[in-house]
Amino acid sequence: MSHQTNRPEESLDPFTREVITNALQSAAEESFINLGRTAKSSVIYETLDYATGIVDIDGNVVAQANGVPGFLGTLKFCVADTVEKFGRDGFEPGDVVMLNDYHGGTHLNDVAMVAPVFLEGDGRDEPVMFLASKAHWTDIGGKDPGSWTTDATSIFQEGIQYPMVKLYDGGVENEAVADIVAANTRMPEMTLGDMQAQKASLDVGVERVQDIAREYGWDTLETAVDAWLEYGHDLVRDAVEALPNGTYHAQDYLDDDGITDEPIHVECEVTITDETVTLDYTGTDPETEGPVNSPYAASISDVRSFFQAITLPSAPTNEGFFEPLEVIIPEGTVLNATKPAPIGTDWESSAMAAELPWKALAPHLPDKLSAGHFTSVCATIVGGTDERTGDDFLVIEPQPGGWGACADRDGADVLVCAGDGDTLEMPVEIMETRFPLLFGQFALDTPQEAGHGRFRAGTGLVQDYTMYNESGGFITASFGRSEYPPWSVDGGQKGDGNYIELLRNDGSVERASKLTNEPLADGETARLVTSSGGGWGDPLERDPKRVLEDYRDEYITPEIARDVYGVVITNSDEIDDAATESLRAEKRNESEASEHETK
Amino acid sequence: MRENNTRVAVDIGGTFTDLVAVTDGALSLEKASTTPDNFANGVIATLEKSSVPQSAIDQFVHGTTVVINAVTERNGERCALITTEGFRDVLDITRANRPDMFNFRYEKPEPFVPRRDRFEVGERVDQAGTVLESLSESAVKAAVEEIRDRGIDTIAVSYLHAYANPEHELRTREIIAEQFPEAYVTLSHELTGEYREYERTNTAVLNSYVRPIADEYLTTLESHLDVNGVEGNRYVMKSNAGTSSFEQARQSPIEMVESGPVGGVFGAARVGTNIGEPNVISFDMGGTTAKTSLIEDGNVDIGTEYWLESSRQHEGYPLQIPVVDIVEIGAGGGSIAWIDQGGSINVGPESAGADPGPACYGQGGTEPTVTDVNLLTGRLNPEYFLGGEMALDVDQAEAALEPVADEFGTSVRETAHGILRVVNSNMANALKQVSLQRGYDPRQFAMVASGGAGGLHAAALGRDLGVKEVIIPRAPGQFSAWGMLLTDLRRDYVRTWVRPFEREAAPAVNERFAELADRAVAEFGEEDIPPADVSLELSVDLRYTGQEHTVQTPVPVGNDGTDSTVSAASGETLLTADAIGATIDRFHDRHEQAYTFSLEDPVELVNVRLAATAEAAKPTIEPVSRDGTVAGATKASRAVDFDREGTHETTVYERDSIPIDEPVSGPAIIEEPACTTLVHPGQGFRLDEYANVRITEETQ
Repeated sequence: MSHQTNRPEESLDPFTREVITNALQSAAEESFINLGRTAKSSVIYETLDYATGIVDIDGNVVAQANGVPGFLGTLKFCVADTVEKFGRDGFEPGDVVMLNDYHGGTHLNDVAMVAPVFLEGDGRDEPVMFLASKAHWTDIGGKDPGSWTTDATSIFQEGIQYPMVKLYDGGVENEAVADIVAANTRMPEMTLGDMQAQKASLDVGVERVQDIAREYGWDTLETAVDAWLEYGHDLVRDAVEALPNGTYHAQDYLDDDGITDEPIHVECEVTITDETVTLDYTGTDPETEGPVNSPYAASISDVRSFFQAITLPSAPTNEGFFEPLEVIIPEGTVLNATKPAPIGTDWESSAMAAELPWKALAPHLPDKLSAGHFTSVCATIVGGTDERTGDDFLVIEPQPGGWGACADRDGADVLVCAGDGDTLEMPVEIMETRFPLLFGQFALDTPQEAGHGRFRAGTGLVQDYTMYNESGGFITASFGRSEYPPWSVDGGQKGDGNYIELLRNDGSVERASKLTNEPLADGETARLVTSSGGGWGDPLERDPKRVLEDYRDEYITPEIARDVYGVVITNSDEIDDAATESLRAEKRNESEASEHETK
Repeated sequence: MRENNTRVAVDIGGTFTDLVAVTDGALSLEKASTTPDNFANGVIATLEKSSVPQSAIDQFVHGTTVVINAVTERNGERCALITTEGFRDVLDITRANRPDMFNFRYEKPEPFVPRRDRFEVGERVDQAGTVLESLSESAVKAAVEEIRDRGIDTIAVSYLHAYANPEHELRTREIIAEQFPEAYVTLSHELTGEYREYERTNTAVLNSYVRPIADEYLTTLESHLDVNGVEGNRYVMKSNAGTSSFEQARQSPIEMVESGPVGGVFGAARVGTNIGEPNVISFDMGGTTAKTSLIEDGNVDIGTEYWLESSRQHEGYPLQIPVVDIVEIGAGGGSIAWIDQGGSINVGPESAGADPGPACYGQGGTEPTVTDVNLLTGRLNPEYFLGGEMALDVDQAEAALEPVADEFGTSVRETAHGILRVVNSNMANALKQVSLQRGYDPRQFAMVASGGAGGLHAAALGRDLGVKEVIIPRAPGQFSAWGMLLTDLRRDYVRTWVRPFEREAAPAVNERFAELADRAVAEFGEEDIPPADVSLELSVDLRYTGQEHTVQTPVPVGNDGTDSTVSAASGETLLTADAIGATIDRFHDRHEQAYTFSLEDPVELVNVRLAATAEAAKPTIEPVSRDGTVAGATKASRAVDFDREGTHETTVYERDSIPIDEPVSGPAIIEEPACTTLVHPGQGFRLDEYANVRITEETQ
């Protein structure tokens, strides 16, 4: 965390530091909100698939506003690599650098912009701070609409790459670059709108940081930032010390890579000491032919969000906060892929970077972690030509699902995955107004067939997207965790897995978990079903009253109450205590007997 | 408008229930303890304590916490929901977001209607309002039968796209009326004509949930007023900064959710327009929170994206009703200063409240609060708190700060400075959030500060923000109640109607406005208010095609397309083609102002909005005449610590003795019973003809 600029030795009073860092955080948030209010892609304004941050010239994230946790570790690389390319003195006021290739750290749709902050009349020839943001653009070319696909075999099929180019040079737009952007998208109006909105939001952030520097002076500001980074480390130190020391291990599988049906093995060893948390992913399978690969920075983002979840979930973070975290991901594996491996659905593997240590530690950290959840972003792209207007449409959405049960309560129904955050599910009424779709249902997936336990998992979501458009349309989707369902804890049931059913006009039903450009005729339905989470504890230990409540709220049938929970519900909808007791005893004996047999 | 009569406003606050009365232009104030067990008792107590005889009251305006309290305490009524088949779970699904995104045990908000009490019926309308499946009346009947059998008599009805075609909701109400006439029924489209099914359904459900409690409360109050001979008009304050009759409030009680705080914002707007400062930032700092809102051109900012109980950790519950846009933060006189795990100083949101209160109250509080700091720096007078009703204990305040000072290895005095800097910075950020962050330059605004603690911090915040001036109105401690006296009857209407916004659309858009205007005329008519007394204000929510979020843009109205309001009786075309062009120009400007850019893209209409107001009788703000001299208003002097501006021997003035229009140089302290105002070195103040304190920077 050393800065090479000269810093005054004097220490700063803690109050002024607090005021300055609050102001920097506000500046990041203001820039963030600005982009959300003006973007043209729903994946930005509703999904909030973007982040804005203030990063110093050494790549330390000073303040960051996130819509999703998935960008928690990527902005530092965007700035550090940009500074490396142009040199510390290679910037002018008004520059905006654009990048989205492997240096950006996530799939190509996520376009980053980096803008230096200078102060007029300051005399310095290098910027002290940068504003950086990264946002998912709906379409950046590539072989299929929406750019990411489930069957690309090379990054060159996934869209255009912007290799750290100056979109603005000293405040003047580089028209050649803008023309290339416009020529390489299927949705130029939307894409140029997003580009303009993203650039304007950086301007706002730059101006706010200048205001702060003008008020306190650069030197004071730098001192405050140093103290703030140190504070991040101080903040987390006790939380790390409180974690249970030891070595833990977990392994799991990705369903497939979209090209072959082979499952992909991932694993992680977690070592906790008083001062450090080390995650070692050695043993994970090599990068794949299909696009489920994750670049290093994307995996690091998920690792960081996990680290925050087990330490101080609500604390403000900065680079110092992550100092105790050590990560080993061998290069060339599915969690640290190398160019030109395709990375379009990088969330499928990067989610595992958090999922593995989560699985290893959940039984040991019940106050921080639930059982396994539906994990996959379950992203969909639906598009076509809207016959109402004659315009092409394209909507990208993550789909929410069931979360795992906790040690002391049931899991949350229908929530976006850990890789998404303050991401808003689009209302049905807005979806139907904007796009030629009709929803047949938008419901909890009940009766719940999986995820039962002493505490029950949250249910998944069932949605029927029916094409309401004479010329039909198409759907692209990546629903991971279909074959290898959410994991449980302490004898709970696993979840049931994410899947899609295509209800054809001829009455046939096709089941799938990955689709690219699948045609949907007018009147045909894509039924999107997300998984329940995993249960916690033996279902036979569930309080019968809770079972009765679940029955009354139609989460379960009397048969599930009987067969899974050993609870007998009478015809008058009450618990038959005696019958329940004997049924539970019987079931316990049965399971003991079967355990003996297997031994 | 009748003159020379008595108007009374009563506002229920967290600690006190305030009464402000104006009789023939003269102001009188009263307060009583708030009575959470039965709020009506506190209201009645202030009425009985007041020097104004109840039988003389010509107009009674009331701001009440009864609705928000029923929600917070979860003691509303069990209710049922009837909704479209396939959609009963929208209350569980919510928007599925995780605001506390690193919490891997996130808990969703519990719906106000359990799943078992939600009934699905066959019916379907599309976004254009076309009926795709007609209402299954047998399913509605079966649902009503079951609801009745369960002993539930409050029913919310919310169908998909009901805003676009309310036929099925209306028919459902008829069926319920035939089968179960005693039931309270709320139809979603009558509360809001906007799309977003979760938001609209939750609004309908919460309206049902609080309805019996609100009904009972209003009945109690009404019978008290009847018994005591209050014959004048009775109004309830709504969240849209307007009032309604008790009768209308019974139908849509959820509109009273922010009944109290909006009085202060409206009051600030009126103080501003009265002195020719239509651009105002309101700032209200009480014991627990500080609230701020921006008023442009005399108009309070009203939005319909309101969330109850939302925070960074919790998504809360949406209400799609018009609510004044207020930013509220946990910074008040009782806010506690504390040190977090990383060794950093924080102030609030935890408050010592009224009991035990700040350490200096000597009621057992031991944690350092903002009030303690104000006392230690000489800003508060230990002998004149609440007009001398309570003596403050300097030693207790000092003892409370010592542990914090020790932790930082600094003095109590330095620590006091630090706490002031942090709490002021938190409030400054909130003030910037409503101004700078929305593209407004604070230098073009005056700040109107109120609340028990507002005067102590306003001058420093105003200087930091660079506002034109800081205004401390009269009765700053009861300002919300005072603001209520000046309000008019108001109803807001909205209809989602997405389409290109262009000149050719004028007749069709005009038709939508006319529908809303007809509703307004009809509903005011039910209260015997003729169309000639109803004025209409139009606006549209616009965006560039492809965007989601909109910018609310006022529409010039009338035949010449230049006015901002039009009488409902004028018979004029509400919206002309020329007005569409002018509105689009305004939209580009507003987009640029808020977001620093505008586009040449086509513009899309999302919502049409109409605000209908009927003027209520209200007091005019009268000039105050007063004899005396500045010297005569001087009470004492004391050493006041102004942090970086140094410690100064500072003259203390009694507000009610200060003569009108005499400039006084700071530093100064202005005392009055419910509020102390600080004027910093380099600033000066004068009382204007309405006895507002006006603080400005003195030119060097």
